[in-house]
Amino acid sequence: MDNFPVVGQRIPKRDAPQKVTGSAIYIQDLKIPGMLYGKILYSKYPHARILAIDTSRAEQLPGVKAVITGYNIPPFKFGFFKDNPPLKSGKVLSMRDEVAAVAATSPEIAEEALEMIQVEYEELPGIFDPIQAMQEGAPILHEGLKSNVLKLPWRLICGDVDTAKKESHCIVEDTFSTQWVTHCCLGTSGCVASFDINNNLTMYSNTQIPYLAQRDYIDALNVFGIKNRKVRVIQCIIGGGFGSKLDTYAYEYIAILLALKTRKPVKVLFTREEEFIATSPRQSTITKISHGCTKEGKLLFREMEMILDNGAYTSWGATTPSVMMMPISSLYKVPNVKYIAKCVYTNNTYSQAMRGYGNPQATFAIESSLDQLAEKMGMDSYELRLINANEPGEITPQNFKVTSCGMKECIEEVAKRIDWKGKRGKDKGRGVGMASLIHVGGGARVYKSDGCGTIIKIDDYGKVDVFTGASEIGQGSETVIAQIVAEVLGVNVEDVNVINNDTDVCPWDVGVHASRTTFVAGNSALGAAKKIKEQILEIASKSIGEAPEHLDIQKGLIFSTKDKEKNTPLGKVLRNAHYSTGGKMLMAEYFYDPANENFDKDFKGNLSVSYAYGTHGVEVEVDRDTGRVTILKYIAAHDVGRAINPMMLEGQIYGGGLMGIGYALSENMNFREGRLMNPNFLDYKMLTAKDVPPVEPVIVETNDKDGPFGAKGIGEPGLVPTAPAIANAIYDAVGIRIKDLPITPEKILKALKEKEKRGQSGEEGK
Amino acid sequence: MRGYEYYKPGTIEEAIRLMTSLEDAQYIAGGTDVLVLLRQKKIKPGHIISLRNIKDLAFIAHHNGLHIGSGTTHAEIERNEIIRRNYSALHDATSNLGSVQIRNVATIGGNICNAAPSADTACPLLVLDAGVTIAGLEGERKIPVDEFFLGPGKTVLRKGDILKEFVMPLFGPTTGSSYIKHTRRQAMDLPIIGVATRITISIGKNGGELRCRDILCTIEDVSNLLARFEDEELRCEDIRIAMGVVAPIPMRAKEAEAALKGKIISEKLFEEIGEIAANEAAPRDSVRGEAWYRREMIKVLVKRSILRSIDRIIRPDDMVYPERLW
Repeated sequence: MDNFPVVGQRIPKRDAPQKVTGSAIYIQDLKIPGMLYGKILYSKYPHARILAIDTSRAEQLPGVKAVITGYNIPPFKFGFFKDNPPLKSGKVLSMRDEVAAVAATSPEIAEEALEMIQVEYEELPGIFDPIQAMQEGAPILHEGLKSNVLKLPWRLICGDVDTAKKESHCIVEDTFSTQWVTHCCLGTSGCVASFDINNNLTMYSNTQIPYLAQRDYIDALNVFGIKNRKVRVIQCIIGGGFGSKLDTYAYEYIAILLALKTRKPVKVLFTREEEFIATSPRQSTITKISHGCTKEGKLLFREMEMILDNGAYTSWGATTPSVMMMPISSLYKVPNVKYIAKCVYTNNTYSQAMRGYGNPQATFAIESSLDQLAEKMGMDSYELRLINANEPGEITPQNFKVTSCGMKECIEEVAKRIDWKGKRGKDKGRGVGMASLIHVGGGARVYKSDGCGTIIKIDDYGKVDVFTGASEIGQGSETVIAQIVAEVLGVNVEDVNVINNDTDVCPWDVGVHASRTTFVAGNSALGAAKKIKEQILEIASKSIGEAPEHLDIQKGLIFSTKDKEKNTPLGKVLRNAHYSTGGKMLMAEYFYDPANENFDKDFKGNLSVSYAYGTHGVEVEVDRDTGRVTILKYIAAHDVGRAINPMMLEGQIYGGGLMGIGYALSENMNFREGRLMNPNFLDYKMLTAKDVPPVEPVIVETNDKDGPFGAKGIGEPGLVPTAPAIANAIYDAVGIRIKDLPITPEKILKALKEKEKRGQSGEEGK
Repeated sequence: MRGYEYYKPGTIEEAIRLMTSLEDAQYIAGGTDVLVLLRQKKIKPGHIISLRNIKDLAFIAHHNGLHIGSGTTHAEIERNEIIRRNYSALHDATSNLGSVQIRNVATIGGNICNAAPSADTACPLLVLDAGVTIAGLEGERKIPVDEFFLGPGKTVLRKGDILKEFVMPLFGPTTGSSYIKHTRRQAMDLPIIGVATRITISIGKNGGELRCRDILCTIEDVSNLLARFEDEELRCEDIRIAMGVVAPIPMRAKEAEAALKGKIISEKLFEEIGEIAANEAAPRDSVRGEAWYRREMIKVLVKRSILRSIDRIIRPDDMVYPERLW
């Protein structure tokens, strides 16, 4: 592949100096004159009827400017199913249900006022287990519904699984389950809602979907009786998203309602406990999976049935089966596929998007089951994976058109670097395991548009402003976009400024999700940059006296490719164009919407323009006495098309890997009867810097034909195959398979003791 | 968080006078426990008396044993070379507590006065035979640390009392100690259980020289190691075992101690000691760990801690311990 001066270089993340010196302005730092502080009162019970709310004492507290409840706000519901009112009346369905809210002149007064609100409840029997929630006679959460199962017919049928079963030489079947985990954004959620004199709304927000949120707010304002107003969304610097900010939340509507009522800007800012309790995490799942293959080890079918705990309300969590379908139908070549999923209401929290969007849950079952299949076949699971690996040019059963695909290379790189042949099945107490992934790498047509707009202008001095719809949530998109534009325009990357936080200024984008920003926003920036470059060369052609096709720009100098002596600085050309008769300002806009497809009614279609692949290999040591797992080596190979910025790419791999290791070994939202028992970093075991194992990223470049400079997405893949790779390594080390995440020392020790017992009573065991 | 009056007295006497004269006052040292309780609204004091300005509380002194002022931070203890060598269990505890940031402000006195069953420094102080000096309105009194804890968050301190210092005896070169904190993470964690031991040994054979010392640098199986110890008559002359998070207060495993004291170490005896200690404990199920697992870990960690203590006697100058399971 070609080498470029800017693209492919290890350029530090441009917002890093701001963040480490403390000068970055987060929502936490934002203050607007006259601003009030909103606080929310949550339910005391996971399922109860509200009998009475008395806010009179709170209203009388000096400094309190407004108190609202579900009984004195317009009837409005938000969310994917429009089943969630910002403040509840009648019934509460979870501990995080918002019952009342206060706006006051200080957060302390607002908090004190909350304590003065008297709510009388009649406690109702709760349902916390999705399987119980499906049983007959179970209390129905949402009035007017006949069942707790959501009306979402997730069902994917490819080929003929029943026939394939009969033809299979070897079949394995098992059940796997995963836990609730949360994003742990270091910047907690928050917003400031502010109305101008004409009732136009400005929302300062942490959202990762400014333009979809804008629409949600407009819908809300319409219900609140303020029609045809303008909504502007401004993002402060965002301290992490990971999918948590992919939907709008009750607190945002509460801020809007309080601002409307008080005619003052109102800020709602979550505490860490609220961040744990009242944002929407990755749901728990129970998956029954079965795999079958031929004598040679070629996969014949994959059958999966899944139950997802939706929680009390419906957000994007309920749609994660659509993304789970991707690994289920298309991770390795498997001709016959059947997948059925049910999302079930419970009185737990409610689920949302989180990095990987269902893919980690599905891949845990798939890749664990594949190791079981290999064992039953007497095959090396590495060989089984190679035999079935995806390849370029393939069309998968779900009609994904695979363009670039480096899966085999990833598997081989991992095997080589982890010393698979030397270590697999050898050392007692130590073991190696691997697992692969597929993810969307070229956008994902989840909505009607998967587009992103870019505007570029260049000032009189050759400095470039790029207005992009793509949000920066810490992942580094503004650095990548600046690199792409600098590369095309032949300017220094420092001369490219990226503006990406204001819906009044920037063009539309669907949001930061589906690992799409480098690919989609990158292509959009690429398109705009090419357009403006054409204009520049056109103008320069006159002053330099050379045809535009023989001109190029490097380091801010326009020159003839035939005679480098013929050149002019970019700024000079721009100034001349500006200050000549009939003057010209250089600007260009470009809207890129990838040629991917929405699923049809059978959930088939080419969801993404290209797909990302990867394989993780792990070496673990298991302490047989304590059940503790130590990761000795971690290889993460990813097919990324091309690394626009290898340093930031590695950052995504480290971060994803560590999040995945937490998912595999330690993180768990511990719900007891709907109450979160560990809403803090002490008891929610997100891993620390000291827990980071030696992660070795391996970048496999396949130069995707549709990607900007060949790049594909990498935002999510880093955590997708982590848990099964670790589970497989543990099995190799001590012969026990933990099928229920997280793999805690307790579970391992228990399984080891049971295995020992079985061994003594003469039954089989590895 | 409601408002409170903040005081910063310069002497112990002044602090005690303030505390006894105010209604709802709270002492604060490093603040790493008190501020959490304040935020959780578990305490709502009207007055907070900081002890950080009292110079007499922050010191490490070596005369007739070890003296540590209650206001000494974990970081200061962690960096003390004599403590690392001769009071290793305390070094283990202070170097693994919380994070660097927490250790820089959290004090050993605060860790003990907070009286959590999981307090990291409690088990080491118990096995190091620490005494505590308490200053109160009526003067000073000294008690063994064994008698300090009454229950979770409860101590013998009366209103106004300040825990002033910890005093530990001198230990000779045939004594070693260690503390093992069993956690889910490498930092920012409380122990699922914690075990500290201190052992004094003698060698029966070969004129008191341990011939098998090099085996400690290998990854030889523990049962082989213990068999070698037994062959060379490695005898436990004195022993302390303390356990945290296994009962309402950090506690000694006195029956296990009695069963080991005076005996030659063997694998069989080690198994028994683990069982006895586990039976002395009364761990409970909690969000942080299940009782059965805690009980199992006592068996494992008591053995590992004793081995680590012995290792430190035999190879006191080895800065880096091999990557062994203990």
